[in-house]
Amino acid sequence: MAASPVSPVRVLRSPVFFSVAAAVVIGALFLIGTGADPVAAYRAVITGSLGSAGIGSTLTTGTSVLGMALALAIPLRAGLINLGGDGQLVLGGISAAAVGLYSPLPAPLTTVLAVLAAMAAGALYAALAALCDIRFGVPLLVSSLLLSYPASSLASYLVRYPLKEPGSSLPQTRRLPDGVELPAFGTSTVTVGLVLVALAAVAYHVVDSRTAVGYEMRMTGLNPRFSAYAGVARGPQTLRLMAVSGALAGLVGAVGVLSFPYRFLDGSLTAPGYTWTGLTAALLAAAAPLGTVLASFFFAVLQVGGLSMERTTEVPRELTQVLQAIVIVFLAARLRITWRPKKRRDAAEQLTTEKAEAA
Amino acid sequence: MTPPRPEPADDAHGAHDAPVSVELTGITKEFPGTLANDRVDLTVRRGEIHALMGENGAGKSTLMSILYGMLRPDAGTVRVDGREVAFASPGDAMAAGLGMVHQSFKLFDSLTVAENVVYRAEPRRYGLVDRAAARRRVTELAAAHGLSVDPDARVGDLPVGVRQRVEILKLLHRGARTLILDEPTAVLTPAEADALFGVLRSLTDEGRTVILVTHKLREVLEGSDNVTVLRDGRVVARLRTADTTADEIASAMTGRAVELDRVHAPGSPGDEVLTVSGLATDGVRDAGLTVRAGEIVGIAGVAGNGQSELVEALAGLRAVTAGRVTLSGHDITHASAARRRLAGLAYVPEDRHAVGTAPAASVADNLAMGHHRTALSRKGVLAPKAVREHARALIGRFGVKASSPQVAASALSGGNLQKLLIGRELAHEAPLLLVEQPTRGVDIGAVQHIHDQLIAYRDAGHAVLLVSAELSEIRGLADRVLVMYEGRIVASYPKNEADERTLGLAMAGAAPDPAPSARKGA
Repeated sequence: MAASPVSPVRVLRSPVFFSVAAAVVIGALFLIGTGADPVAAYRAVITGSLGSAGIGSTLTTGTSVLGMALALAIPLRAGLINLGGDGQLVLGGISAAAVGLYSPLPAPLTTVLAVLAAMAAGALYAALAALCDIRFGVPLLVSSLLLSYPASSLASYLVRYPLKEPGSSLPQTRRLPDGVELPAFGTSTVTVGLVLVALAAVAYHVVDSRTAVGYEMRMTGLNPRFSAYAGVARGPQTLRLMAVSGALAGLVGAVGVLSFPYRFLDGSLTAPGYTWTGLTAALLAAAAPLGTVLASFFFAVLQVGGLSMERTTEVPRELTQVLQAIVIVFLAARLRITWRPKKRRDAAEQLTTEKAEAA
Repeated sequence: MTPPRPEPADDAHGAHDAPVSVELTGITKEFPGTLANDRVDLTVRRGEIHALMGENGAGKSTLMSILYGMLRPDAGTVRVDGREVAFASPGDAMAAGLGMVHQSFKLFDSLTVAENVVYRAEPRRYGLVDRAAARRRVTELAAAHGLSVDPDARVGDLPVGVRQRVEILKLLHRGARTLILDEPTAVLTPAEADALFGVLRSLTDEGRTVILVTHKLREVLEGSDNVTVLRDGRVVARLRTADTTADEIASAMTGRAVELDRVHAPGSPGDEVLTVSGLATDGVRDAGLTVRAGEIVGIAGVAGNGQSELVEALAGLRAVTAGRVTLSGHDITHASAARRRLAGLAYVPEDRHAVGTAPAASVADNLAMGHHRTALSRKGVLAPKAVREHARALIGRFGVKASSPQVAASALSGGNLQKLLIGRELAHEAPLLLVEQPTRGVDIGAVQHIHDQLIAYRDAGHAVLLVSAELSEIRGLADRVLVMYEGRIVASYPKNEADERTLGLAMAGAAPDPAPSARKGA
């Protein structure tokens, strides 16, 4: 029921499509205004990200964006916003690196263990933010965001002192031992990480549309008082969803460490902004599973295509960030329109009631 | 002190030769798929109390929204005091001497009465708000119109009846000559309602005009001069109150003869299902009651006297600070909402939009709630098909009008949403049903249907605890009536002793005997 049948007309009239189309048009106006050729620029974005040279890079970026988007979409489905993605991501990365470097097990097992450790670290840390909300009344938005900073600092410390690569001038760990890595597809940079994230997306879709847990999650998102009234225990639900969210963020951290550069380098996991791109994608899709996948792919295309556009045309890649921002502004404007002043809304509600009744 | 009179009325009660205050001619308003108003004519003369009646969806709100500048008509004209007007906003309407008291009050709880009354029309001195003048103005207006209020009281601390006075003072402060009141007595005791009508009458005596949007027949008959009845967007009756009857108005509203205020035969109670003793929670003190199988126990009381809190505590949505609650022999005093449901409790909450449903979710999803872990799922798997079939079954069984189980619940009318909610909860077949305001905002046809369902549920041997602000509903359904006042259960009456006067007195805190018999929950 989550994936209700999609008719072409509904897609065209949907605010998401409108926001994206408006961003493309406004972006084109920007380009024309600066004397650039919008067609060439957009073509460069498309060929650079989806052409044979760029698709690998897009899928690699897409892995991380989708991973973070799922991490943020799952709690968002129940109306919870996890702003601590960066911290959970970094803790996952540093845990994976530590396990990868020090595990005595054979390489394949160490890799598996590193992934699990990263997910556990992310999950526990996100659960801590959830506990702050449930036990001490610190809003999740605040607790998750604020807990993110000490996590990043802890990882920075570890990578500068106890785990630092001897002799290196960079704040980074040693390279992971041979074989401690996620298998890649052929010679590309695309790893099994993509499969793991895709499986997570499938699992999310199935849980969302076909299980009691997913049903409770959706209902809580649509009306938390309704689900509480019917006996859904809000605290445990928040805790579980945040743990899953943190585990996925941790997984993205592990993917970033167990593939190129095969080590933990301070700042390298958060610098590309996967957390915020992922949050944007989740919001764009209103946390629906299929939509989150599509939106993540869209943003991966923008991110990778923007780089290539900068290389092949005079247009700076910031254009793609402008596009991303415009999409968000339009979506936010849609939300604003929904939250009309109360008086008008009351009148409108009465009217809808009357309409429906008279019909 | 003489009240400031805008203009003496020609005739106190809006005789046919009084000047026309508001005249709507040929008002038509179409929404996609619905003709909400179809060539509606409404003439309200100065100095009368004019009741506008109709079921939900008859077009009353649309018509008043057009008059008050919130909507533009597709066709037709609006005249106020003889001048044709086209209001672009409620502000324009206010400037033309109209004023509206909405059903949900538009007041700032944290501000004082005086601040609320003068808001956006503040008396000024040296460009600053003149608080002293504001207080004087409120005191004068209050005294002139018999609306006693303390100008310095914080609105949030005031009972509902007094807040309503503040709303009326607000309009008078702005010089409103025509007052529109939307369901003004929904939250009042019978005595408060009588007092309100006294005030309204004094306002019309000094030449103002009152339009009363309501569905309560009794007060229309007692308090109005003329009645206009809408059905399906059209005017179906224009009646002089003095020459009409409740039956005539009701059949005009529904288009058929309706049996009003049916009193159902009493049930045959069996074992105790719910036992509450010494229960305390926020807003409730020392509440004791029992509900037996095959029995409906009604709780009467003015809104805000602890009924909602009591029911929420029983449903597990509010912490219990003292006392004991047992359900079919299990102690559920501190059980979670989920455990209570497992122990055999179903609950129809007062606020169907904010609590009882998720309006944005589909009808099917709304009907699945509570059944999603039991009948509908196997090992946690909830098949969409099972959810749809469950929805179809309940839609059919409870006569919910929905084009498909997949439409959003927000597309349903109030009455249909209520049927959905009640159907879903009845389908649990739980030994105890808690039900609050089962027919609030529901049209007369649906009311009967809902009442019949509740009686059938009782007769099937279930216990029902009913909270309602409608005395006629309580008297019609309940086998025993408890009255709550200021957080306590102050009286208990068997069905045959629960007449309106007795209940009204108890609801106002004047119960003859805050009896030990009530404590026992006899």
